[in-house]
Amino acid sequence: MDLTQVIGRASGLAGGAGAALLQRLQHVRLPGAGQASATDDPERAARRWRAVTVLRDPADVDPAAGGLPAPLAALGDRIEVRVTPAPGDRGTELAARYRHTPGPDEIGDLRAALREAKALLEVGEVLRVDPQPHGRRAATPQGAALEGAAQAAPREGVL
Amino acid sequence: MRAVTWQGVNEVGVETVPDPTILNDRDVVLKVTRTTTCGSDLHLIGGYIPAMRTGDVIGHEFMGEVVEVGPGVRDRRVGDRVVVNSFIACGTCWYCRQELYSLCDNGNPNPGITEGLWGQSPGGCFGYSHAVGGFAGSHAEYVRVPYADVGTFVVPEEVSDDRALFASDAVSTGWMGADLAGTKPGDTVAVWGAGGVGQMAARAAMLLGAEQVVVIDRLPERLEQVRRHVGAEVVDYSTTDVMAELRERTGGRGPDVCIEAVGMEAHSTGVQGVYDQVKQQLRLQTDRPSAVREAIMACRKGGSVFVLGVFAGPVDKFPLGAAMNKGLTLRGAQVHGQRYTPRILEHMARGELTTEHLATHVMPLEDAARGYELFKSKEDGCVRAVFLP
Repeated sequence: MDLTQVIGRASGLAGGAGAALLQRLQHVRLPGAGQASATDDPERAARRWRAVTVLRDPADVDPAAGGLPAPLAALGDRIEVRVTPAPGDRGTELAARYRHTPGPDEIGDLRAALREAKALLEVGEVLRVDPQPHGRRAATPQGAALEGAAQAAPREGVL
Repeated sequence: MRAVTWQGVNEVGVETVPDPTILNDRDVVLKVTRTTTCGSDLHLIGGYIPAMRTGDVIGHEFMGEVVEVGPGVRDRRVGDRVVVNSFIACGTCWYCRQELYSLCDNGNPNPGITEGLWGQSPGGCFGYSHAVGGFAGSHAEYVRVPYADVGTFVVPEEVSDDRALFASDAVSTGWMGADLAGTKPGDTVAVWGAGGVGQMAARAAMLLGAEQVVVIDRLPERLEQVRRHVGAEVVDYSTTDVMAELRERTGGRGPDVCIEAVGMEAHSTGVQGVYDQVKQQLRLQTDRPSAVREAIMACRKGGSVFVLGVFAGPVDKFPLGAAMNKGLTLRGAQVHGQRYTPRILEHMARGELTTEHLATHVMPLEDAARGYELFKSKEDGCVRAVFLP
């Protein structure tokens, strides 16, 4: 039995239970991990400005000049928007936050709207990925979890 | 169409899937003429990058013929023979304007996954999991290419398909490592890994003026390719003490530039190799970084280490003290292919960059499962399996 086989056998025994536990732990959301705020209290975290930097002149981004990009405009009076020049020729910082304390779904809406607004301003369109060619999808818990994570990904992250 | 799909850990197969379509104005659809395995695919197939869904079409290093053009595409026409960069980049964001294309802000529609893992999201990539966009890969008869004016390059007539294919990723990745590590005329450059990327990093270093280039691996057929086709020196780490050998060959200094082209499944000898294997198999670490560790320890004071191999998460026993106290510059990146492909195609046209020898196994797409078996096991001298859809 070579080294790889020994390790494989050992990991099969010791790792079986451990791997199951780790898999479960991987789906546990630690407070703050992968999110905008790691240590803020929930209300302060929810009230933070969410921002993207857009490589366009402030005049091209200014809502007073041309109106908000459609994804942000769709959020209406619920949000306030701040437009400031970014340092070092990096374009414009476009930030937004809710006027009230939002829930997680609303924060997801705002993240997705900011990213789409940036894409519209920089590229002119939002990159799509669906529908993609794919083969048979096995119905597994891991697959369902990944599909959920991918669908939520535009609305998740550190913004 | 027929396509190669990931069907579970260490399971790859060919099945019939829907044809791709134009989804954005700046897309083209390509009829794939050549598509190759890449070492980084093995991390996906082995389950080390846990963002694959069964049925995902894999493959990210390819070329083909444009068969459909979106209404927003300016510079590509039906019939163009093009090679395609593996990372998807818009060409207009700040990162693209800095020629850091794999960091594109608008290339990954799933940014939340990698922002959670790494704090920021890189761009998207063909056939490389939902963490980098979930785009269908190139091991198929057809593939959709977003931002086609930015990521596709017309291949000069004098460059064959067999050569141009590797401009897609292996050569551009290797070139980037040599360039961004700061290779200068007169330098000694050491490269860990004699796969396609490592060989091309060595060749790029020579074209950038390095005086001495040493490639480190353990597979005799790959080391022989380095001698014969790249023209660099070699070290077999299975029979030679790499650190001692590099010191001896560099007057005791160590290499000026160290390029790691191995990635998260590095093999190594001795206690370190056993330690990393056990920890990775038990899922207590995601990556085996033995080549990175050695590169840091070998590098001369004030030198530069570039990580080209793909890593996913935290690594263990990282010699940060050596990196800090020796004043090293440590850098890494996924490939900024769009930055280098035009220059690479020129070198290929002049015969200064040859890649045909990398394609040790050329086979129909239907044989992809066998191709990946050969590639993973490195049997029969397999360096790259190339599929013809």
